[in-house]
Amino acid sequence: MRIHRSLTAGLIALTLALPAQSLWAQDAAPVVIASSEDVISLDPHMLDSNNPTGSVIWSLFDSLVRRGSDGSPQPRLATEWERVDDVTWRFKLREGVTFSNGEPFNAQAVVVNFARMDTAPFNSVQQLHDQTGLTEVRVVDDYTIELVTEKPTVNMLYWLAEAFIAAPGYITDTAPDVVAGAPVGSGPYLLGEWKRGDALTLVVNETYWGGAPAVKTVTFRAIPEVSSRLNELRAGTVDLVVGITPDSAEQANSDVSELVKIEGLRKMHMGISIKGEQPALADVRVRQALNHAVDVPTIVASLMGGSTSPLVSIVNPPNNNPDPTPFAYDPEKAKALLAEAGFADGFPLTLQWSTRFDGGKEVSEVVGAYLEQVGIKPSYEAVEIGQFRAGLSSASLKGIYFQGWAALINPSVELVILTCGHVDNSSGYCNPEYDKLVIEAAQTLDDAARQKLEFAAQAIIWNDAPWLYLWRLPSFFGISKKLSYDFRADNYLEPYLITYK
Amino acid sequence: MTRATARRFFGRHAIGLIGLTILFLVVTSALFAPWIAPHPPSAVNLMARLVPPAWVEGGTFSHVLGTDNLGRDILSRVIYGAQISLSVGAGAVVIGAIIGSSVGLLAGYFGGWVDAVLSFLINVQLSFPFTLLAIFLLATFGGGFLSVVVVVALATWVNYARVVRGQVMSVTNQDYVEAARSVGVPTLRILRHYILPNILSPIIVVASFSMAQAILTEAALSFLGVGVGGTQPSWGMMLNDGRNYLQNAWWMTAMPGIATALTVLAGNLCGDWLQDRTDPRLRQ
Amino acid sequence: MPLFLFKRFLQAVLVLIGVSFLTFIVAHLTGDPVELMARENATLEDKQELRAFLGLDRPLAEQYLSFVGKAVQGDLGYSFVQRAPVTQLIAERLPATLQLAAAGFLLALLISVPLGIVIALKRNTVWDVVVTALAMVGQAAPGFWIGLMLVVLFAVELQILPVSGYGGPLYLILPAITLALQSAARLTRLVRASMLEVLNADYIRTARSKGLRERTILFIHAFRGAMIPVVTMAGLELAELVSGAFITETIFAWPGVGRLAVNAVYQRDFPLIQGVVLMAAVFFVVINFVVDVLYVVIDPRVKLK
Repeated sequence: MRIHRSLTAGLIALTLALPAQSLWAQDAAPVVIASSEDVISLDPHMLDSNNPTGSVIWSLFDSLVRRGSDGSPQPRLATEWERVDDVTWRFKLREGVTFSNGEPFNAQAVVVNFARMDTAPFNSVQQLHDQTGLTEVRVVDDYTIELVTEKPTVNMLYWLAEAFIAAPGYITDTAPDVVAGAPVGSGPYLLGEWKRGDALTLVVNETYWGGAPAVKTVTFRAIPEVSSRLNELRAGTVDLVVGITPDSAEQANSDVSELVKIEGLRKMHMGISIKGEQPALADVRVRQALNHAVDVPTIVASLMGGSTSPLVSIVNPPNNNPDPTPFAYDPEKAKALLAEAGFADGFPLTLQWSTRFDGGKEVSEVVGAYLEQVGIKPSYEAVEIGQFRAGLSSASLKGIYFQGWAALINPSVELVILTCGHVDNSSGYCNPEYDKLVIEAAQTLDDAARQKLEFAAQAIIWNDAPWLYLWRLPSFFGISKKLSYDFRADNYLEPYLITYK
Repeated sequence: MTRATARRFFGRHAIGLIGLTILFLVVTSALFAPWIAPHPPSAVNLMARLVPPAWVEGGTFSHVLGTDNLGRDILSRVIYGAQISLSVGAGAVVIGAIIGSSVGLLAGYFGGWVDAVLSFLINVQLSFPFTLLAIFLLATFGGGFLSVVVVVALATWVNYARVVRGQVMSVTNQDYVEAARSVGVPTLRILRHYILPNILSPIIVVASFSMAQAILTEAALSFLGVGVGGTQPSWGMMLNDGRNYLQNAWWMTAMPGIATALTVLAGNLCGDWLQDRTDPRLRQ
Repeated sequence: MPLFLFKRFLQAVLVLIGVSFLTFIVAHLTGDPVELMARENATLEDKQELRAFLGLDRPLAEQYLSFVGKAVQGDLGYSFVQRAPVTQLIAERLPATLQLAAAGFLLALLISVPLGIVIALKRNTVWDVVVTALAMVGQAAPGFWIGLMLVVLFAVELQILPVSGYGGPLYLILPAITLALQSAARLTRLVRASMLEVLNADYIRTARSKGLRERTILFIHAFRGAMIPVVTMAGLELAELVSGAFITETIFAWPGVGRLAVNAVYQRDFPLIQGVVLMAAVFFVVINFVVDVLYVVIDPRVKLK
């Protein structure tokens, strides 16, 4: 009898559930995003990789400013801003926003969050204070703040986009390792379930100030093998795939899915270690010879499947100086330059790469094969990522090394890394003339004047060749034909902007 | 030799013959690689990437086993790869045999606390997940030929130590050795005259199995990206390269794998055969 | 017997201390984990602060003692790369590894025991030669390579099994086979040899001369006798399987302890590496211990010193 009754109840429940289920399936089917890596931490101030960890944090939290896919700043928790003077920015804050635990968003919340970012361990990850020279957060009223910097800066809005605001009371009273697993923000999504190393599910925040997003449930899955990610995309069990290699790109096209190519912003190069173990590299002619010896356009066409284009400056378009001439593939000229520098017989050169970027080994071997043609004797070395990073920040890698600095669209941020002694100046390049231009540009508020300085700096660095210039890292994505979404070159995903077709 | 005796000879020695033949082929290709290989092993040709083997549609006879992701000739790389595999194998066998036999000899001959301490060492090693230890050590100290040889030797010394220890113990207990000891024959002389001849053949047997094990271990380490590295191709490294191309170029993975399997098989066959020849208990 | 067990126990504890010390030392000989955790362009001061925050600026001896002290209480420390307690990370991945190892182990036994017995009984027939040859090849080919070839065949060409990943039973098939094959090859040959030896043994001959039915002889007497060395080996094989799981899990993206450990090594996640190695060592030591005990139970003739 009891069994019978529960069976009936179950059947009724099932019948009731069915129409709802099918409606749900049509209008707001969950979206599954597959990336190669696991989500690491949900602490908003520990954000150190763009996807998937960054994408999840962008969904759970809001920043004052959103960085558009073209790099332009857009309002988010700040509705408008202005420069009060050279070192002071004033922001108007959005009113009526609450965090998911009910705490209100206001000027005090910004103060608490920015202060947390500036303490260990967060300040080893967060860039806001270091990059902008932020010294003071001034509360003008509940919904107005002023940010004061040490010197004039043009980078404030750029870094604010990665400075996320969490519920202030919560992060003050809660242990950091709890915060990392139980986020409280004001973003378009809330954390559903997190099975570490496997999948993380976001559910919609129906009361989001910007309106609830179209996709109600988003699952981030870690599927390390690119072939598996593509298989699942083709089988329809995954809707969006991040991280596809050029050789497998075509497989993202199927009956239910398509390939999206985005010319990336990360500038791939073989950094030339000027203070490394090969003294020849200190000679600018040798560095130019290396650039002439490698046929970058052919590598782009074959190995990269024509998916990107060679670098034309160390600054990304549209801010690049169009004048410097690319180093043409010319082995004879390379040999002549080497001879002129006193290395007619070549020299031994170590090529290093880490696991940070796909294809480091392939690229190094191809580059090495070209260098062999002009008499250089290459040897190869995969470096474990930690040692590689240590080598980068101390400018002590051996010879030339495969590397690409972050996907940026901000000439000032892009140029500063090659100034003397900068922590990212891993080739050990140092030219006071260049430094002067870069520093002056970063403090010049007039757009035209600043661009002139930046162009001059670009021209110098291009010919001094601290890098063997390669290409911009292309990004390939796969997406279900049922969805539409504009992918970003920096690999961040914003699931709240995905819509159903 | 009559037909009957020939059949008996080959029947009994078949596995040894097969093993030695394969080993001979592998050693030959390693030694004479520059003359045998049709192309230089590192010659990149971006215009001929991922060409399939000759017998598959689209393949050519200038690349019998096809080309890899950078257009390098796979046959040539497999031939050159034998150099790394064999030299790692040989190096590891020598180092492993020296360490392992010494430990086994000391433990077996002296017994008592020496045996206790050395057996403890053996136990520590055996209770350690070796693959992890190897990756760990190589990732720490960097790859390179010598590191790989030493790490692989660390994986195999225990084999020798255990066998030698047992053998030495049983020999030491024999009457003639005890007699020699009691009349004051110097230890070194006892070791040389009575013990060494008795442990040589088990060492050789263990060595040929360990050679096989060493080659497998080297392949696994290179596959995980912590192998010999450098410019020279190794089979494990080729397997690692091929892994990303399973979908569109299976031959990149198949060929070095077959080479590895054949070489290891040869080592094992020789080991079986030698064991059969030298261990009367197993002779049937 | 209790004395023997006590001795073995003491030895196990010593082994674990040795292992923990070794891992600790090696882990700290590697580069600086702060370099990995800090963002690409953190300043030296930021890094120094982080080092202090993590306790990495304390003397090594102090760090080691605190590690051991907590480990005894089941606290293996905190993984700064994954930003979660090590014990929790391992516990989360352990079921997947155990599932894979168990499936591989069962498969290896299911293949090797019947096959080994059959070819022992049909000694020197074509079957014997073919199976023995296959077993030798199986032993010679790298396990992970066979796994990759299986992927090419079943996942790429035939497309009936997933390439890799973790999900339903379909996902388990290829990794389990990959893991099992080498063990199966070794065990098949062992079962065959040990069966042959038993069939020639005196007590079987006696049983035969007493006129017992052949089936009874085979399954009651011979089988039991033949299993003694197999049990010993099977114990070692299980340990071997867990070790082999490292590489198999990496190939098939199996979210187990093995992949966790391999990644931890690449990311220089000291506490996590120490935790996994220590746990694996405990596992090995326990298995060895159990095998010793089993040995005594199955075969009372074996005397242990």
